[in-house]
This record gives sequence, structure tokens and C-alpha cells, in this order.
Amino acid sequence: MTAPGRPPGPETRRRSPVAAVAANIALVVYFAFSLLPIAFIIALSLKADRDQTTTYLWFSPTFDNYRTVLGLDGGGSSYVRFFLASLTTSVGAVLVSLVIGIPAAYAAARWRFKGSDNLMFTLLSFRFAPELLVIIPLAVIYRQLGLYDTAVGMIWVLQLVTMPLVVWILRSFFADFPVELEEAALLDGYSRRRVFVKVVLPLVRPGIAAVSLLAFIFAWNNFIFPFTLTSSNAQTVTVSSLAYLGGNLVRFNLVAAGAVMAALPPLVLALFIQRYLVRGLSFGAVKG
Amino acid sequence: MNSERSARHGIGRRELLRLAGLGTALSAAAPLLSACGFGGGPADEGGSAADDVTGAFDWKKHDGKTVKLLMNKHPYTDALKAHQAEFTAKTGITLQIDEFPESNYFDKVTLELQSGQGGYDAFMLGAYMVWQYGPPGYLEDLNPWIRNASATHAEFDPADFYPNLLTAGQWDFTNGNPLGGDRQWMLPWGFESNVVAYRKDVFDKLGLVPAEDFDGLIELAKTIDSKASSNGFGDMYGIAVRGSKEWATIHPGFMTMYTRLGLKDFAVENGRLKPLMNSPEAIAFTDKWAGMVRDSGPAGWTSYTWYQASSDLGAGKAGMLFDADIASYFQNENTAAAGKLAWHPGPKGPDGNLNTNLWIWSLAMNSASKNKEAAWWFLQWAESKEHLQYAATQGQHIDAVRQSVATSAEYKDRLAPNTGFLETFEQVIDSTKIQFTPQKNFFDATTSWAAALQDVYGGADAKATLDELATSLEPRVND
Amino acid sequence: MSVTTPSEVDRAEPPARPPSGPEGRRPTVSRRRRRLRPYILAVPAVLLCVGILYPFFVGVSYTVFNFSAANPNPAFVGLRNFAEITTSAPFWNSVRVTGSFALTATAVETVLGVGVALLLYRGGILGRILERALIVPLMVAPILAAIMWKLLLLPEVGWVRPILEGLGVTGYTGTDSPLWAFLWSVVVDAWIYTPFVAIIALAGLRSLPASPFEAAAVDGAGWWFTFRRLTLPMLWPYVFVAVIFRLMDSLKMFDIIFGLTTGGPGDSTTTLQINAYLESISYARYSRGITYMVVLWAAVYLISMILVGYLRRLQNRTAGEAA
Repeated sequence: MTAPGRPPGPETRRRSPVAAVAANIALVVYFAFSLLPIAFIIALSLKADRDQTTTYLWFSPTFDNYRTVLGLDGGGSSYVRFFLASLTTSVGAVLVSLVIGIPAAYAAARWRFKGSDNLMFTLLSFRFAPELLVIIPLAVIYRQLGLYDTAVGMIWVLQLVTMPLVVWILRSFFADFPVELEEAALLDGYSRRRVFVKVVLPLVRPGIAAVSLLAFIFAWNNFIFPFTLTSSNAQTVTVSSLAYLGGNLVRFNLVAAGAVMAALPPLVLALFIQRYLVRGLSFGAVKG
Repeated sequence: MNSERSARHGIGRRELLRLAGLGTALSAAAPLLSACGFGGGPADEGGSAADDVTGAFDWKKHDGKTVKLLMNKHPYTDALKAHQAEFTAKTGITLQIDEFPESNYFDKVTLELQSGQGGYDAFMLGAYMVWQYGPPGYLEDLNPWIRNASATHAEFDPADFYPNLLTAGQWDFTNGNPLGGDRQWMLPWGFESNVVAYRKDVFDKLGLVPAEDFDGLIELAKTIDSKASSNGFGDMYGIAVRGSKEWATIHPGFMTMYTRLGLKDFAVENGRLKPLMNSPEAIAFTDKWAGMVRDSGPAGWTSYTWYQASSDLGAGKAGMLFDADIASYFQNENTAAAGKLAWHPGPKGPDGNLNTNLWIWSLAMNSASKNKEAAWWFLQWAESKEHLQYAATQGQHIDAVRQSVATSAEYKDRLAPNTGFLETFEQVIDSTKIQFTPQKNFFDATTSWAAALQDVYGGADAKATLDELATSLEPRVND
Repeated sequence: MSVTTPSEVDRAEPPARPPSGPEGRRPTVSRRRRRLRPYILAVPAVLLCVGILYPFFVGVSYTVFNFSAANPNPAFVGLRNFAEITTSAPFWNSVRVTGSFALTATAVETVLGVGVALLLYRGGILGRILERALIVPLMVAPILAAIMWKLLLLPEVGWVRPILEGLGVTGYTGTDSPLWAFLWSVVVDAWIYTPFVAIIALAGLRSLPASPFEAAAVDGAGWWFTFRRLTLPMLWPYVFVAVIFRLMDSLKMFDIIFGLTTGGPGDSTTTLQINAYLESISYARYSRGITYMVVLWAAVYLISMILVGYLRRLQNRTAGEAA
């Protein structure tokens, strides 16, 4: 079937029912593989302690694990606090990246200036550098500067994750935007700044929204930085989900409940940026 | 055209080269930058901060201070948290406890100590960590504190600790030298001896008794593996032991049995360590151990840590567990196997010895702490009879490190429902100590040893594998 | 679903024509200020980068010392760490493991991703529903994904054994054999990142021009011919972008392999990153561990340089053909 508005393309011309059935079976097999671990972790999060390694699918589900993780059973839990800390640091990291990254992206898209390539590539290289490389010195520096275990420290180090995304993707959005429009506005006697704020920014707003959500997701999911640079104050929820992998009994069911809740924000947000995902994931190299 | 546009903004070769150049230039300036990050804690010559403490001992001396603790998520820590209000009431010191799960805990400690910033005043560790953290000066010698009557309360009574446990915290940092000496790098807090726990109901039904020698253990595991399922015990395998590629795979059951058979990890010749994992007897033992797991152990053994191994016992999937006594102890409630476990020292050596390796969760002070006195006030309380008696009876602080606690009626009563637990403990305690040769590259040596064990388990020739281990290890441990 | 690039969306709405403002502002902006403008805009980002780069270069500087817990007051040793490492067997083993993991994982993900994209491109109700779920594995934190899969794969605990037994496969032992430890690591990597390739390939498919395919259909070309001669070559620039990202990422993959096997059994899945971690964190031999990482980093750089050069030629050629 051809959806309206879908361009004719390299699709298979032969629409034999056999091929269609085979294609659908292949799709179902792939998605069964793709969603199986998710089903497993959800099932595990609903198991009582005794069931956690002794049953597959047949057990009586309980929400006790969620209650325990959230501290609703009176046992006390920092999960909600860490969840909020995750929100603070991820949102903070994205905001800082936007405020600082948007002008840089705009400059890189509009002018070729000395060092612009170096700057852009330096930013991209963070994406490919092994994080372990900076961890040992960073642990020292954070202690010396008093940034250890603070939201400010986390927001700063997460720039390694969010800044390259924001700058590279927004540069590609700015580059798409026709210069002529800006020039027309300039001829009408507007200052650069007003043209940028009144004309350019509104038009790239969808791009900014998409890149913000994507950067948020990656900041949220990061493990190594919050693990090494925080402890009880600014710890994030990705780290604290692992807190039950110890003690007298290992509570995989609690880890699962924590992980399911920690994965919700990225999953929900991802639904909103489907359209810009391609450009986002490829750092603007493919525009979808 | 999309690709055209992306070409314009793609990553350029020139850009790459330029950045690579920048990198080279800056790393040439490295010595200037490297000022930060090097150097261990303060050298321990030149007196201890403990010597500054004078006057009569006073619990309230550090009223209003805060002590920061880096702790492993563990029942011992739970007991401490449950009791901490009492400490604060007694001393006026507030505790800030940061807990991390065991799988990442030591990464955290390593980074923390390496930073040299004294972010935490005290933390949990084991003897092998002293061998790594001690030489760079990360740890505070506790003896000057213990000996200063102005700094330590009168009932502290260090002689009350089991002597082997206290010795485990002492070393002179010379590769191959035995533990002991005048410096106390950590104090034992709770410990584990490595013995065999088994399913009493399975043994009873199949008419089995615990094995008294290693060959007997292998046969016993085989019997359980083949007979348990046909006797209504589900899909039960014979014996659970650790198998992941980590240092922790070697030290429990494996090292205990190795030592009981009279085997050593290293010989010390002219101050150099010579690996002995490839002696003919060690090769034969390694081969048998791997064979035992292959025949009667779990599938997927190479990813087995203590929690996989012990939870299999609790879930009724394993008939025996040769591991820490407390790992099995915790499986005796709230699990499918609850109430059905029993303990036995495990196979004896040919000469009847019950030499046993142990793990001691201990407490140490960060030498970079800016708060040493208050930290010591905490340590001596956490190590006191008062707290340890509370933790062992009201909490899950087992095995007790103080003889006064371990022999108290209250403690014995609480352990009595666990068949054979106390008897086993009493049988092995005198021969329970650190069985490894102390040396600074312990984690490399044991991780590589575990990898070799996995290879043998996978079918590699034991002699060739262990010869290669010994050859490659020798320069590294003598580095 | 129609394909629109964001810029097309933007153009679709007529830009708001600004009301006429005060006259003659622009000429008053001095030339010097105009020349400085990009720097003023970019400087904050530069400063932020320098702040983050500092620890990076401190890290790199460790490679020329013999810094370890056993040797806390290190001496300058020049390039000895590099010499020692590159003449050691564990290094070359991990080079081999890293290389074969990266190549296998990238190949599997590329083939599977393009396949999934082709299937989804067919449309259909099922396809459109499932396309929504495509992204799910990419959104789970990798550390959590590794733990999840470790449990799934454990023969005594997870679902993989009963599923395989249901399919008639017996003798499953999880990651016990070197081959399966390697293959399962690839499977988990593919589980997370196949959607990445598929999403990019799908976008590529949807933006290919229609006319060559219409011409081929008129000529009566078969499916395979069209796929080999038209779809694949035209899609390749897109897929290649995904290949670059996957290859670079899988060269430095750590979480998944470490979570599943910690590099075992034996040294069969010990990659450069795992050696780097063991040396610098577990064994506290900081200089040696960081040397491993710098070698890896340099390799990633070199390979990305070559691949990006190829990508540019590819894109220039495609652009030339399109013109």
C-alpha cells in the first residue's frame, strides 16, 4: 500500500502476497528480539524476592518492588531525590549547552573564521574520545575545585555529552536556513542581533526543541560521569538504579524496578522527536 | 541534495590533522600540567597526627563535627546505619554515609584515594586492598591512635580481636614478606571464612554425607548432579563456586582448597616472587577443580560472581556452595531453600588440615583526611564491643571479629537455628587466615589466574595454560 | 509518511517580514566589530571546551611517566610505556579482539539495519506500528542494557535458555565458550545499535529520487537488479555515515562487554578498553592504563580520518552525479 504523500522510491514493485507475508514475519521476528529484553526487565520488576531467579513468566506479579524503590513502604529511599537530581542536572546541562552552543553554532554556520574548523572538530572529538581517559584527572580536579558531588559539577562535565550534539546539529539547521532572508531583514535596517532573535531563532525552533530533547536523553543515560564524580547529593538515577546489586541478597527485582522507572523519561521524550531523530543521531550529517 | 550539504559541513581531514597536531603540542607541555594528580598521601615518617592528642579521653571531644564515610552496600553498613543515632548521641559527631554497590565500590575507592583529596575520612576495604592502597601512602597507620590512651577509650581492648584478623591488617609493603609488623592499616570489622554449605534435605533424602577430602567432594557433586532431579529436587546441579574473570573468583573456595592441599601461590627467592601456580600439584588441582565445575557446576559458570553462586543455592538450583559462610547464611531465609541449609568445613587436606582463606571487611582511615581525630573517634566506636555486639545480634553483622562477641550467648543463640554453622566456624577459625603471599600486584595476579582457570574450564591444556600464566606473571609481579 | 527536511518545513511558512525599523543602523557597525563577531559568539564555547580539555591533557601526560599506586612519585620515562605495551602479548590480543569485535558488530548492524529499514520502508500497518518501537533499545542507558542482558543470558536465570530449548536448541551454556562470549557481545551491541543504522537508512530510502526507479520499472528490471544497481549505491552515502559512527563507537565499546564477560572467558573478549580499565582502575597502574587508552584514541582518530576522507569523496561523487 502506498501512503499518500510518500514519494515513489526504491520500493519493491512486486507485491506478491508471499513476499508481504515473509516481510511481515521478518519484521515480527526482529521486533520480538528487540523488545524481548524490555519484556524481561518489566517482568523481573514485578517479581517477589523468591521468584526473581526461579520463575520465567508464571508468577504472581507484585508492585512491591516499585513501592520499595520509591520508599512508599516506609523503608526510606533516596530514589525520588536522585530522580529529581537527574532532572536538574540533565535540564541544566541542556540549558547551558543551548545558551552557549546556539551562538557558536550560528557563527560556525554563517562565517568561516580562523579556528572555526578546529573548534567544531574539537567538539565532535568528545563524541569519540574514551571517557575513561579524563576520569582519573577529573576526579582530582573536581575535589580541588569543590565541584565533586554538586549539580554544578555534573552540569559542567555533561557538556562533554550535550555540547557537541547541540552545536553540530544546530549548525546544520542554521546552514539550511537561507541567508537571503537574513540579508533582506538586514537591508530593512535591523541589527544583526534583532534579525537573529526575531527571524532566525523562530524558524529553527523545531530544531532547538529536538536537539534539546535528544541532549537531555543522552545526559540522563550517562553513567560514568555521575558514577565517578558524585556520591550522595548529586547522584543520578542511572547510578542509583544499581544500588541494589549488593547487600545480603542481590535484589535484581529492585534493580529492574529502578531501571524501568529511570528509562521512562527518555522513552517518552523519544516519541516527540521521531521526526528529527535522524539528524540528531548523525550529528547533522544525514538530514532525514 | 542532502549529501551535498552534509559534505560541506562534514568532518574534514584537515580538521582532523589540525586537532591531532594540537594534541601533540599540548602533550609536549605535559610535565607542566602534570603537577596535579601525582603523589600519594603524606609520607608516614615524621610522626602521626595521633601524637597530637593529649589529656584525658573524652567521647565528646569532637562534638559538632561531621565524619564522611565511603561504604559498601552491605548488612554491616545497614547495622551501622541502624545504630548511628547512638554514636551521634554519645559523641556529638554526625556521620555522612555514602554507599555504593559492591560491583562498583572498589572503583570508587580507588579513584577517591588516588585523588588524594581526603573527600572521605574512612572507608571499608579488605586485606588485599591494603597491599594496593598501602604502599602509595593512602592509608593511615592506626597503631599510634590505638596506643594513645588520650585518643582511645579504655575498653577498646584490641587483644579481643581474633589475632589472625588483626594480623591481616598489618604489612611492611615488601613484596613476599609475611603479614604482621608494627603498623595497623585497617581494623577487622566483619569477616567470612570459606566453607561448604549444602542442602540438608537433599543430603538426607539421597543418603549423602559431606565430603572429607577433595576427591570425595568431586564425587559428591557428581552424585547430587545426577540424582537430585530424579528425586524431586528440580533441575539441581552439584556445586556452585565463583567463576567470573575477577580476582574474587580465586580467593574463596578455590584458594581454600588449594591451600588445604598444601599448595602456595608464590615462592620468595632472593626477594623475587616466583609463581607456583604451575607446579605439578597445582596443575593437577586446577584441572580437577575445573573438571568438577564442568561436570557438576552451573552452565554459564564463567559469569558467576558470589551473588550468582549463592543465589543459586538459595533458589534451590545448587546442592552445595563452596564460598563465604555468610553468603550461604543469607540464603537461609526468605528463599526457596530457606531453613534447609547446613554447614560443613569442607574437604580436609591430606594431612587433615582445615586451612581456610578468608575475607575481612575492615575499616581504614584515609591518610589524606582533614578530620583524622573525629574519624578515629568514629572508628574506635564502630570497632567497639558496644557496636559490634549490637550489630551482630540486632543486625546481620556476621561473622563476628571480636572473640567476646563471637562467644557471647546472645550471638550463639541467634546462629543456632543454622545447622552446623557455629560448629563449622569453631572448627576452622584457628586455621583461617590470609593464605596468599602479600604483594603489590595482587589484583593483576589473581585476575589473570581466574582467566587461566576459565581457559582450563573451557578445555585448554592445564599445564600449558598455567605455564604461560606463570611466565607472563613473573615480570609483572616483580615490577 | 512524506519526507520533509526541516528546512523545507521552514520554507513552507512565509517568513515574517519584519516591520520597518529605525533606519541606517547597519552601516554604523564598524568593520572591526563585524570581524570579531564570530569570535564573540564562539568564545564561550571555546572556554568551556578548554576547561574540559585540561583534564584530558593531564591524562595524556600520564603516558610519559611511570605512575602507579606502587610508584606514587613517578619519574619521566619518555615513550617507555608505549614500547612496553606494544611489545606485550595482551596488547596484541586485545588489538585483535577489539578489531574483530568492531568489524563484526558493525557488519552485523549494517546488514541488519538496512534490512530492517527496507522492511519498514514497505509500509503496511504492521510496519508503521513497529517503526514507533524501533528506537526503544537506543533509549535505554547502556549500563542498564548490559545488566539486563547479562541476566537474560544466564542459563540458570534468563529467558534465553528456555527460548532456545523451545526452538529445539540444547547445550546452551551462555557466555562460557570464547566463541559464544564474543558472539553474544556482538548480539547485545547489535540489539542496541541496529535501530541506529535502520533509522538512518530509512531516512535515506525516503529521500532517494523517484525517477531512476521509475525508469527501471519501465525497463522491467527485477527486484534484485534494482536493489543491487540502484538502491544500494544511492543509499550507500547514508549508510556509510552510520557505519562510521558504529565503527568508531564499537572500537571503544566498554559497558556491554565488561558487563557481560569482564573480558573472559580467559582473555577472549578482552578489548583495549577493558585492558585500559583493568590497568588504570583495577590494578592502579595509571600510566600504563592511560597509555592503552591513548593508543586506542589515536587509532580511532586515524581510522576516522581515513573514513571521513572516503565519505567526502563519496558525497562529492554523488553530488556530481546528481548535478
